[in-house]
Amino acid sequence: MADSIEAIQKSKKTYLMVFGALLVGTVLTVLVASPPEFLYWLDVGQHGFDKWDAIVGLLIATTKATLVAVIFMHLNHEKKAIYWIFGAGLLFFAWMGYLLSLAYRSPIHDYLFYK
Amino acid sequence: MEIPYIVTPRKDTGLINSKIAIWLFLASEVMLFGGLFSAYVYLRMGADYPWPERSLPVLPGLINTFVLIASSVTVVFAWAALKMREWRKFQIYMGITVACAALFMVLKGIEYNVKFHHQAVRLHDYSVIEGHLGYEKEGKEYVLDRNGKKIEENMIRVKAEKLTFSVKRYHAAWVKEMIAEADHAKAKITLTEDIKAVTKVGGGEETVAKAGDKLSVDLLKKIFKVQEAAQTHNAALRTKALRAAWVVAKKENPGKSDWEYSEKVIIDAEALKPEMLTEVSAVVFEVNPPVELLYKPRDIKEGAASSRLRDDTVIEGALEDSPMVFHNTDAIDFQWLVMKAEEKGIAPETAIENSWLMQNNSFVRETWAWHLTEVAALRKKLTDRHGINSKTGKPNREPTHKELYRIGWKEFGDFGDVKLSGGDKFKEEFFGPNYEARGEKTFPHLSVPREEIRHGAKFTPAWNTYYAIYFTITGLHGLHVIGGALVLLYYLVFGRKMYIENPEWLANRVEVGGLFWHFVDLVWIFAFPILYLM
Repeated sequence: MADSIEAIQKSKKTYLMVFGALLVGTVLTVLVASPPEFLYWLDVGQHGFDKWDAIVGLLIATTKATLVAVIFMHLNHEKKAIYWIFGAGLLFFAWMGYLLSLAYRSPIHDYLFYK
Repeated sequence: MEIPYIVTPRKDTGLINSKIAIWLFLASEVMLFGGLFSAYVYLRMGADYPWPERSLPVLPGLINTFVLIASSVTVVFAWAALKMREWRKFQIYMGITVACAALFMVLKGIEYNVKFHHQAVRLHDYSVIEGHLGYEKEGKEYVLDRNGKKIEENMIRVKAEKLTFSVKRYHAAWVKEMIAEADHAKAKITLTEDIKAVTKVGGGEETVAKAGDKLSVDLLKKIFKVQEAAQTHNAALRTKALRAAWVVAKKENPGKSDWEYSEKVIIDAEALKPEMLTEVSAVVFEVNPPVELLYKPRDIKEGAASSRLRDDTVIEGALEDSPMVFHNTDAIDFQWLVMKAEEKGIAPETAIENSWLMQNNSFVRETWAWHLTEVAALRKKLTDRHGINSKTGKPNREPTHKELYRIGWKEFGDFGDVKLSGGDKFKEEFFGPNYEARGEKTFPHLSVPREEIRHGAKFTPAWNTYYAIYFTITGLHGLHVIGGALVLLYYLVFGRKMYIENPEWLANRVEVGGLFWHFVDLVWIFAFPILYLM
């Protein structure tokens, strides 16, 4: 970790920039989800909510979350042990997502199965 | 005792112990919230009803997002201040962080409160009405119940003539309420016939309670004791007989597995009878003269002549007129009705036309006619903007299912066309429909007969799985906010001594607390778009 006074002084500027980016990201998410009349072209995909809105919304959210994790939580200069620990948590989450997608291939979600 | 590796890092990990610990905790938190978000996806994709897309007012969620992001910045500034040994600045930044947490929870509380008072009801034909229930009034005065409380116009009224209590399951508070209600109406609740039971083996029948005995919790308790003793005794007797029967069966079927002869293991119930005690499972009381009792819909399964409470008490007596009265209706939703109609191959327009609401309510008919013109205008606007597909000949953009079949509170607002002040508009964006400013002309009165109702609930988990997962995720997140804020507040209030003795230790503790706080922010970064915007 950058512990020297100069390094901390320097990273303060970065924190403020990230703050700005997070605010912009939040406003952008809201605009994409429900664009005002004059920004109607921001409604990506079909009119109203569809998978493209979900993808764009989640992409922005993921970017914001990454900024918080990398800059505020100092993951940009952290020891290996932390990467292993947090990585394992994320891996389990991804694994659960995979299991979830398997469930969707099961017959209970296929309405034609019982017809 | 000195705690090791809280200021100087361990050699093998290169980290202080508390940091390893918080990251292990955060990794488990990722899995916890990850599980809940997965549950959300699962519930949404598997929902057999139109998912309430973007139905919450966005503004409170948006403000809360800003608040939480700001607090994330201030907490990292607080840590930086400690690192640079600027105590005063630390106090300011940490103070702002804790204040942000408090503001977040206040806004969340307001949001929850609005939902707890917002009613929804699904009719038998699957049309949905949303709005605000009123309280019973006579003229301009509210009708008060025996305890001086206002009566919500969603109560089920039964003229109780006869009460049958389940001796095991009766809910004492309800029994007391019935007694008080009867006393108030100068009526008597008395036992219809003697309760006789064999309470000792070999003994004759004894009278446990006499016909005409007044209803009391003590009386029910007394009967329950007899029942409990009898049940325990009889069960032991049956078990003993069953054991003996198994021994006999085993001898008669050597070398076989028990499942092969289990059907032959039978006890002779008749032979046991002389030793059995009487089980009194239900007792009947009559109410003279009949008394009107009021119940919340969730507590009763009503019927024309006989209703059953949640504690299995059966109330015999006529069901009185018990409509659900919306003092202000703010949404009429045919999405679900259309979904059901399409499953049956019925045209949406026909289904809507035949719905109870359209058949019985002139305001709904009028609003719906207006809504159709709005939809037509929207269709035209979308076609003008995005054109028509040259291959299919269909417009590139169509109105959504929600736009087609739901009149929400914003549409009601447009229809009512009441000019609002800036403050009232903001209030509406924040709290949802502003009944006071727009009045009954915009959000009309609507009475739904009880027999038309399939399911009714406030905007709580009882209404649908969306609210169930909404409250689960935001509730758990809220608990994290409270927990995190308390820890940070502790550093702020009691950190001075540690700052003087060992400032680096305090800085490390604040960093660890800050890491948790960032994680709380991180969860909200996902919760906000998923629950409010999608």
